Amino acid sequence: MIVEYESKPTFVHRLDPRVKLVWMVCVILVSVAWTHPLYLAALGLSVVAFGLVAKTPWAKLKGVASFMLVVAAIICLIQGATYSVNSVTLRDPERVLFHLVPGWVPGVNPLIPVRVGGFVYGIAMSLKIFIVLLAVAIFGYATSPSEMVQVIARIPFIPYQVGFVLSTAWKFVPVVQVQMRTLMDAHRSRGVDFEQGTFPQRVKKTSAIVLPLFANSLTMADTMALAMEARAFGHSKRFTFIRPYTMSTGDWAVLIASLGVAIACIVLMVTSRLGAI
Amino acid sequence: MATEIISLKDVSFTYKGSKRKALNGISMSVLEGECVAVLGPTGSGKSTLACIMNGTVPCFVEGELAGDVTVDGLHPREAGTAHMASRVGLVFGDPDTQLFGMTVEEDVAFGPANLGLSYEEIMRRVTRCINDMRLTGLEKRAPHRLSGGQKQATAIAGVYAMLPKIMVLDEPTSMLDPEGKAKVFSIVRALKEELGVTVILIEQEVDDIISLADRVFVMSAGSFALSGTPAEVFSEPEKLRKAGVRVPHVVEFGQLIGASSVPFSTEDVIQTIETGTWSMAAPPRDPVAGQPVGAVSEAGIEPARSASDPDPLPDPAVGEPVIEVKDLHFQYPSGAKALDGVYLTIRRGEFVAIVGQNGAGKTTLTRHLNGLLRPTSGEIRVLGRPTEGVPTTELCAHVGYVFQNPDEQLFCTTVAEELGFGPANLGVAPKIISARVEALLSDIGLAKYSDVWPKYLSKGERQRLALAAVVAMDPEVLIVDEPTTGLDWLESRQILDYLERLWRQQGKTIIIITHDMNIVSLYARRVVVMANGKVVGDGTPQQVFSQPELMAVACLRRPAIAEITDALWGEVLLTPAAAAARLYQRTSSHAEVDQS
Repeated sequence: MIVEYESKPTFVHRLDPRVKLVWMVCVILVSVAWTHPLYLAALGLSVVAFGLVAKTPWAKLKGVASFMLVVAAIICLIQGATYSVNSVTLRDPERVLFHLVPGWVPGVNPLIPVRVGGFVYGIAMSLKIFIVLLAVAIFGYATSPSEMVQVIARIPFIPYQVGFVLSTAWKFVPVVQVQMRTLMDAHRSRGVDFEQGTFPQRVKKTSAIVLPLFANSLTMADTMALAMEARAFGHSKRFTFIRPYTMSTGDWAVLIASLGVAIACIVLMVTSRLGAI
Repeated sequence: MATEIISLKDVSFTYKGSKRKALNGISMSVLEGECVAVLGPTGSGKSTLACIMNGTVPCFVEGELAGDVTVDGLHPREAGTAHMASRVGLVFGDPDTQLFGMTVEEDVAFGPANLGLSYEEIMRRVTRCINDMRLTGLEKRAPHRLSGGQKQATAIAGVYAMLPKIMVLDEPTSMLDPEGKAKVFSIVRALKEELGVTVILIEQEVDDIISLADRVFVMSAGSFALSGTPAEVFSEPEKLRKAGVRVPHVVEFGQLIGASSVPFSTEDVIQTIETGTWSMAAPPRDPVAGQPVGAVSEAGIEPARSASDPDPLPDPAVGEPVIEVKDLHFQYPSGAKALDGVYLTIRRGEFVAIVGQNGAGKTTLTRHLNGLLRPTSGEIRVLGRPTEGVPTTELCAHVGYVFQNPDEQLFCTTVAEELGFGPANLGVAPKIISARVEALLSDIGLAKYSDVWPKYLSKGERQRLALAAVVAMDPEVLIVDEPTTGLDWLESRQILDYLERLWRQQGKTIIIITHDMNIVSLYARRVVVMANGKVVGDGTPQQVFSQPELMAVACLRRPAIAEITDALWGEVLLTPAAAAARLYQRTSSHAEVDQS
């Protein structure tokens, strides 16, 4: 999943990057703590709501969502077939839902039972992955790489160059993606059909892109480095940030809400198993 | 009296691992506040010269430097690039590789922020530079959402924000459309005239330089082949041609008509004609081919069109439609509308130039013709057959597509393999492939490099190879996207001459996308003008260049000679030779009338 920042005039975009980072970390921590699918679904809905406010380009996540549905199905089946849950909420976790090898196949007895407990646990695992990916994507779409640099660079003892290198690498990803598409188009224009042939043949065709992509990326990186050098990058130990971050009321509200809810959820989970399966 | 700010004494440089000297014993002296233009073909050492001035050569790019370099009282090699950055600003040709901020404001602040200046000082500089570079109102815009000219203006502002005394601009307009070029040249003029900055301008655009530079240096093979004031340098057109530099139309026309002084602008030429300070005793001779230009037809376009080919074959006959585009609409997944109802028919044997500013839809349109893009709505037919459902891998046998950047279409490990790659994918027999490869190697002048990795070739050679690699598939229609970007005039002519040979001798239908109106006037027989995703003009070069409003809508500039002849006689001629012949014809007929 490659997330490219999209500048939009939304409340989430305007939030202090540190607050967005805290929100993302809180979501991840709560999703890790909770194991009940209903609680996780509620958390997922809250993340979607946050994404709606951020005008997240959902269409761009279609591909990864389709892939994740397949992964989720596999997780549910594997967990259902192999995992036994000590549930505090499920009435009969050992009840068999269905068999992976069904009984209606002539001459075959039903084999590999999928049980309620394991299956529900699989749903919870899948939801966790969905929530984490979604939170990271919303954060990425709504937080510019330069904002991330500023967040990283303001961490004590980390030189600002480290943050800058990270953000440049981040910005480089879509550039390389465009290059890759162009290289594939150039191949197609010369009769290469990436969809045809056996798997090894297709791998061979695709690998032909790697060398020019690598060579072009190196050339581009070299020119960028030259341009950065010509603008005194690394000249001074001090880098002046031109975005003075001051926390607005909205920032404080989101920060307090994120931390408050996350702490409460985790404490309740630990003390009274609220959110456990 | 101005003081010397740059001094190079007997400077030579050899890149690490190379045997050839990139700079070979050059000396130059630049005074504070001067605007110095450096011309020359690619590979002549211009960029190396630029990089020596701020120390990137040899501090960043290794090699052996000899001689003495002093810039603003410092030796760049010892001072280091980062230290020199506040004295010498270096701007490169590709703006995309030199913009680092998420907004224009952030990018302009990047240099001063690296110097550790205070927030207040940085913002003061940012405001000033954005204003000086005419970027006001774009402060919060993301650089990738700017036009080419605005991007380059941002790059210049970012360098200028470090308040260097010297600005070195290395082909800053090479990637830009005519409007972008005009913007950059207006900024360079402001740097020189309003801000008093010393400017070293490395360029291929001679038409603009001639009235901008105080002095001109012409480089060839690491040395200065010519130097002096523009008047001195441009009064030696033969030496300029020999060095691989295009002679500006105004100068060439002045030479052909025997102007008493070298004209530098269209106004100079018009004044020369009107005051009669010229003398042309005989019909003008084409300065390149050395052939008499001949009579000008009523249409006034034919003579001297193919100066490089003294005895060209006649234009191929135009036949049945090979490309038909009907009501084509295209919207990118992001929602951006790129084509908005395009109608276009291209017939067999045409040589078409598609022109228009960046973002007009030229590339989007042509990528539909071999199926790389599929219409949102509308119909495309290739050789009478709808392209719907036909894959690119099949269409490419009929419509060859050459991309703008050769490095994005060369994949093989040798030149010969590269040429055989396409035909092999189409299932052409090995014997035929070998014959084609051999013929093409000779056609594009790369026979001696057949076993070389394409990456080791020069940009012009790589561009020729990329073109030939598509020609090897023997398509009926050849689409070439910006074939001359980043090339010098000689290399550009080599590419276009090759295309012209394919058109005349093999009857290929040629479609080029270009911003270079000089190329259009020399080679194209039909010009399709695009703006805002639509075809807004279509006709011969003369018809198109005769419509200033159309050129303005498409943000294009017609060639200088077209401006001159339109102003003088109300007709558009495409080459200085044709214009000189027209002048001779008009004067002779006037003389005959007077005698009778």
